[in-house]
Amino acid sequence: MRIRRPEPHTLAGAYALDALDAPDRARFERHAARCQECTGEVASLREATARLAGAAAAPPPAALKEALRAETARTRQLPPLTRDSPATGRTRPRPGARRLALALGGAAAVAAVTVWVTASLGPPAGQPSASQEIAAVLTAPDAVKLTAQVRTGGTATIVMSPHDGMLVFAAAGLRRLSAAQHYELWLIGPGRDRPAGRLPLPSHGMTGPVVASGLRSGDRLGLTVEPATGTGRPTTPMILELTL
Amino acid sequence: MSPPRSPWTGTPPGTDHADLAALLARVAVGDQAAFDAMYDRVAAPVFGTVRNVVRDPGLTEEVTQEVFVEVWRAASRFDASKGSPMAWVATIAHRRAVDRVRSEQRSADRDRRAASPMIAYDEVAETVADNLDRERVRRCLGTLTDLQREAVTLAYYGGYTYREVAGLLGVPAGTVSTRMRDGLIRLRDCLGAGR
Repeated sequence: MRIRRPEPHTLAGAYALDALDAPDRARFERHAARCQECTGEVASLREATARLAGAAAAPPPAALKEALRAETARTRQLPPLTRDSPATGRTRPRPGARRLALALGGAAAVAAVTVWVTASLGPPAGQPSASQEIAAVLTAPDAVKLTAQVRTGGTATIVMSPHDGMLVFAAAGLRRLSAAQHYELWLIGPGRDRPAGRLPLPSHGMTGPVVASGLRSGDRLGLTVEPATGTGRPTTPMILELTL
Repeated sequence: MSPPRSPWTGTPPGTDHADLAALLARVAVGDQAAFDAMYDRVAAPVFGTVRNVVRDPGLTEEVTQEVFVEVWRAASRFDASKGSPMAWVATIAHRRAVDRVRSEQRSADRDRRAASPMIAYDEVAETVADNLDRERVRRCLGTLTDLQREAVTLAYYGGYTYREVAGLLGVPAGTVSTRMRDGLIRLRDCLGAGR
């Protein structure tokens, strides 16, 4: 599969959202260093992302402020810059950063805004669209991302929400199948293996996404190649098997 | 510290850019009281943003603490001519959160995230002070196309890269990066957050 690289300038939004991985980020920053327009655009887009942060506001535990007093008291401050350089904190996290020993336990609430944002902006009534279902899983507070190699080639990415009993499956670079075959997902638990969805044909090297629901605790996820006529149970060896 | 080139618009309730910038200038010279006052202003957006991305409560506190130590350390590097103080702090917070999540994922430390407790949504909603601002952001997000909105919110609140968003939504990566930019521009203009 060949990945087309977008023009650096079109990455300004993804950069402002911190949605670039390390190589893409470095590439954009090299470009932006020579592109005043890009720097200005990123700065203005960050005013928008700061508002997204504002909308996600949630009060931190009170003990955090106290703990910070002790931290700042022993942290040396940087002198002002004397030459032009990036204004944002680009320094690496210090290794072995101290873990806060706050007794919060289960009282701490977890992210809600994501669910609120994606859930409440949907269409006024009716079935959620597939992309809304996907978005709901991806932003579920308990979402976990897994990646795994498919034995016959390709990489699978799974995001699941155990609470919702749903997962989103997508894969890249899967081996091409004949027209008489397809890839099929299975949920493997106590009792029968349950079919969890047939993968669509690849597009741009990507297969999926497929949403599977009805996940139960202790299930494993499997992938097999099956005849296109359908089987109802796996008839070939698993080419991917994951404990969820 | 030079003043902004033009007046700020769309200031969220309870946040005054000039005040916050003045506090940061005092933080830069080691003023602990200014740091406390600055913390009171921005702690909720920082904590909420980090928590959205990181999810694990213990890790959220750890990353939030790192963010504020970084703000303390680098306060002298804040430049009001390049953006608002809130954007500067939010950028440090969000980036620190996604970087941490991505490095955790690389070390295959999935159990910790999976162990996040479930939430009482209503409880969270009630404790949020800036309801008006939230309402406005929500309304402006509603002006985006579905794909723009999903791309922007998955990246910002979910901490996904644009390639991950592309894979998971089944859309080419180039399309996602374009929609992220278009969506943010539209959001910025709707919020009057640009300059």
